[in-house]
Amino acid sequence: MKKYSVINSPVHNIDGIAKVTGRATYAFDVKLPSMLYGKILRSPYPHAKILNIDTSKAERLNGVKAVVTGKDTLGIKQGIWRRFKELCDEEILSRSKVRYIGEPVAAVAAVDEDLAEEALDLIEVEYEPLAAVFDPVEAIKEGAPQLHENAERNINVTRHIEWGDVEEGFKEADYIREDWFRCSSQHHVCMETHNAVASYTPDRKLTVWTSTQSHYYIQVLLAWTLGLRENDIRVISRYTGGGFGSKFELDSAQFCASLLSMKLFRPVKIVLTREEEFIATKRRTPMFYYLRTGVKKDGTFLAKEGRVFTEGGAYTSMGATALYLTGFFQAFPYVWPNYRYDGYRVYTNTEPSSAMRGFGAPQATFAAETQIDLIANDLGIDPIEIRRKNAMYAGYEVPGQAWIQSCGLRECLDKVEEWIKSRGKLPLNRGIGIAAYGFMSGGIFNWFDTPYAFSSAMVKVNIDGKVDLYIGSQDMGQGSNTTMAMICAEELGIRLEDIRLHMGDTDICPVDLGAWGSRETLMQGNAVKMASAEAKQQILEFAAAKLAPNIVYDLDIKDRWAHLIARPERGISYYDVVIEAIRGRDGQPIIGRGHYTPHRKGMISPAYSFGVQAVEADIDPDTGKISLINCVTAHDCGQVINPLAVEGQLEGAIAMAAGYGFTEDLPMDEGKILNPNLVDYKVLRAREMPETKVIEVETYEPEGPFGAKEAGEGLTNPTAGALSNAIFHAAGVSIKNLPITPEKVLNALREKDDKKEQ
Amino acid sequence: MIRDFVYLGPSCLKEALTFLSEYKDKCKIIGGGQSLLILMRQGLVSPEYLIDIKHLKELNHINFDSKEGLKIGATTTHRAIEKSSLIKEHFPVLIKMEQNLASIQTRNWGTIGGNLAHADPAGDPGPVLIALNATVKIANKDRERTMPIEEFFLDYFETALEEGELLLEIQIPVTPPKTATVYEKFNIIKNEQAIVSVAASITLDNNGLNCTDARIVLGAAAPIPKRVKEAEQMLVGQKLNDGLLDQVCKKASEEAEPVADIHATEEYRRYLAQVLTKKMVKNAWKQAEVSA
Amino acid sequence: MEKKLLRLTVNGEYHELYIKPKKLLVEVLRDELGLTGTKRACDTASCGACTVLLNRVAVKSCSILAMQTDGAEVITVEGLANGAKLSPLQRAFLDYGAYQCGFCTAGMLMTATGLLNENPTPTKEEIKEGIQGNICRCTGYNSIIRAIKAVAEGKYKEEE
Repeated sequence: MKKYSVINSPVHNIDGIAKVTGRATYAFDVKLPSMLYGKILRSPYPHAKILNIDTSKAERLNGVKAVVTGKDTLGIKQGIWRRFKELCDEEILSRSKVRYIGEPVAAVAAVDEDLAEEALDLIEVEYEPLAAVFDPVEAIKEGAPQLHENAERNINVTRHIEWGDVEEGFKEADYIREDWFRCSSQHHVCMETHNAVASYTPDRKLTVWTSTQSHYYIQVLLAWTLGLRENDIRVISRYTGGGFGSKFELDSAQFCASLLSMKLFRPVKIVLTREEEFIATKRRTPMFYYLRTGVKKDGTFLAKEGRVFTEGGAYTSMGATALYLTGFFQAFPYVWPNYRYDGYRVYTNTEPSSAMRGFGAPQATFAAETQIDLIANDLGIDPIEIRRKNAMYAGYEVPGQAWIQSCGLRECLDKVEEWIKSRGKLPLNRGIGIAAYGFMSGGIFNWFDTPYAFSSAMVKVNIDGKVDLYIGSQDMGQGSNTTMAMICAEELGIRLEDIRLHMGDTDICPVDLGAWGSRETLMQGNAVKMASAEAKQQILEFAAAKLAPNIVYDLDIKDRWAHLIARPERGISYYDVVIEAIRGRDGQPIIGRGHYTPHRKGMISPAYSFGVQAVEADIDPDTGKISLINCVTAHDCGQVINPLAVEGQLEGAIAMAAGYGFTEDLPMDEGKILNPNLVDYKVLRAREMPETKVIEVETYEPEGPFGAKEAGEGLTNPTAGALSNAIFHAAGVSIKNLPITPEKVLNALREKDDKKEQ
Repeated sequence: MIRDFVYLGPSCLKEALTFLSEYKDKCKIIGGGQSLLILMRQGLVSPEYLIDIKHLKELNHINFDSKEGLKIGATTTHRAIEKSSLIKEHFPVLIKMEQNLASIQTRNWGTIGGNLAHADPAGDPGPVLIALNATVKIANKDRERTMPIEEFFLDYFETALEEGELLLEIQIPVTPPKTATVYEKFNIIKNEQAIVSVAASITLDNNGLNCTDARIVLGAAAPIPKRVKEAEQMLVGQKLNDGLLDQVCKKASEEAEPVADIHATEEYRRYLAQVLTKKMVKNAWKQAEVSA
Repeated sequence: MEKKLLRLTVNGEYHELYIKPKKLLVEVLRDELGLTGTKRACDTASCGACTVLLNRVAVKSCSILAMQTDGAEVITVEGLANGAKLSPLQRAFLDYGAYQCGFCTAGMLMTATGLLNENPTPTKEEIKEGIQGNICRCTGYNSIIRAIKAVAEGKYKEEE
């Protein structure tokens, strides 16, 4: 008999029909009676005082209903790291100072979008430009322009992680290598740009339709900055057109639309243009990396020291987390007896850098895995072998940081090794490179300072057997809606079509912290499983009463059949027992509640996924151009819940992570982003994709629902490193400066040829 | 944001030319609008009058004649060119060029005339048509004139079209015997605009040994699609050999006038010009050897 | 600014609209006709999320002046299904999970529909070339290619 009835089978995404018929209504599509359109005026300077804003001309334009500036706000410096007030440094509508090109200074509401845009030109802002600084290494110097009063030398956050004694480790080492890396920025490029429709009504309640990864966070942050009661705000986000880490902080569309609506008591819609999306949302944290690594001559890892400067941009945002995670995942997925990491996040007059899929781990993995191949090459050790020798394993404790309860890394290495061997001898100018990674399944640290459980769920069983499932998680495309419904169906013993899902609405849904940090499957999944189990228990009480089995027998429900586990033929239909259960309890529907908060699970995460990826790539030696041929990934996400979603996440991650590796970049000139459009910012398209293959390595993670862990964010970690290693093996050059453009490859090839001749 | 304008939908070419002469610098022509609308959205172009020639039947044709060659009307879509069996038979390089131009959606509506009039130095048709020795027919209300397409491009986004003039047709002469034309563009994401491109046309003598004519055109390496005539001259009268090829492509790279931008340095563009010229000259030569 | 008459058949229904000449086709579809299935995700005709069929061929509706479509027939994503009978491509997309956030999906479906209208049996390469004008940030394209290929191979027949 199949182990599970629902999970681990390919199913139609429960939002599928809405999405393929064009009926899914995103915030982008919302239109309300009397709705006005808003536009935001943004600073052209990277650093300047705001001396005066004259909005009178704009207000007089026929069709303009209101103009707001920082003076119309409570002046609250907000931030998502609420637990540390000094890290809450962003006003959104700045009152006194602007710190990056694109920072909002005013917002307009008018009867149509074009008028609102015209009105922006009529707002007169008097700036006093200040000296600006763009490079973290420059910003940290004495005498550099200061962005924030309380941040001496522009140091925003520092992080230190240490175990063992690296100096002792280096003394023992037979071989030590030092390398410097430059990890570029990257933009999320969600297809749905940031937007919000805010409606403040005469009963002084605010409703905001928006595209978000966490309606709960937006609700709380709006309440804080607008001076409203949290639950007088309703945030609705039924469908989110992409997130990737860009949409769980309060953004300018949400804030300004709300502000304008509160002034006018009319709905106001603000949709960011693609250009605003590029310059004035948030982006991946660029990092300057130094790694010093010591190993034995047989490849045993002894000591690693990492020092990282991150270009923080103008505000803290989620950058503190990226700083920590990069230092933590620098040591993944291997056993390092001695490790030290020092990270510095430095304010600069650029667009704030924050969270993007991988959250500092892709940068860490790129640097670490590139260096490991270089070390392996220097010592004459096979790249798979050196990794196998040092791989993490189930039961390992990262000293003082984390317990690894499930780990399929060794098997992943074996599977990838098998595939590489099957490729045989490669043609000229082609190489295969690998990278191994690990990633978290949700974070432990309550930096948001929520009083709630990290995730909650509720299940309500109705008389006809249809189940209402209430969850707080947000589906931004990663498929969490379907995954949660599958977990509920599996636990309750019913089918997907028996479930009616409620999500994306703070009025109705229990709190969940949101879709970031790869937390939904494990945290929301656990809460859903618990709620479903509680509901099932109540149903089984009545089944037991009906079936009157011997006390030694256990009951369960599978595929709508409540039965004795040992004697499955003895049972009662789920529909019948539900009727009995409801009738027997005063006509009350059956309700189950669940929640999950990680307790005593280490410093970072309750569980970790692992994987190994191989990238096969061609280099054109004449131009340096890279072509991706194959990408094979063996990964361990514990028990797979939603296989179509996992495969989709993998293929999507490859496109995004390969882009990070060789095509995407945000070049700036004096703080101005030079390619804020989809012509000059290059994302991979269909013809650039390699053939992809996913190999599931099944483990069981005791912490996760049915043994499941994350799948989707961790998969973004390895590709840049695997690609740089593929180029190394194809052409003998190692490029440590992302993105790996053809020009960089060509220059490296020439340098290598020049060295040969010398 | 697009500014308001008066929309004019002429029913025939004569009417369109009359509008053009009447509204002078206050009007713009729209073909498919695939380039124009983006400029208008960004506020870079804001005409008071927009003359829509998209549906003018007189400008939408692909004709071939064994004496006069190929004639393509200005409002012929890229897709029609891409799918034309006439063009496949006689000028297959145009098919290859179109297949790598933008996207199918853009090609379904955008016109060849609009592309040429936009005069983006990174445009694909320009270099290929110059290599094919094309001429363009231009008209105003009073008269028509033709010019070699080489002379049509003056500078970045600037053509020889005078006020009141409209591009009517592109004419490509019949391919001489022992001639082949090839085109390739270098980009990171397929179908996106060229970082550098090269079109090359080689004509050999009857024995297929010596070169009698060469046309090498660089795209996205100068303010206009540029014929590298010094490089071409090195080939005329010669047999192909590796040494000569190296000299020719180096010369082509010297004649280039590339700019540096976020996609490539000037040095890399020169280098690409060299690499692509070598490849295209070699390919064209080989194809010419076996051609009729 | 004087509005002009636009006669447009959308998903089989005839409409007479008075619009400002500067309106783009996507604005007419989304704002005048309320057909919000078609999306916009860029301002440079790069992403393809706005793709519709115009006289049976795929175009980017954000780059079509609405006045140029006078008398034309447009099909949007809302016009693919017939009640509960989804088109073969829609069914294939569901089976192959060829969408995630869904924002590019309408554009992808319309591009794919146009592709198969012209060439019912494209090769994998031709499919990739066919959707090269559409950006998807979520799926990595391969599931979309598999779904279109399955339809091209005849695995999905039109429902009776």
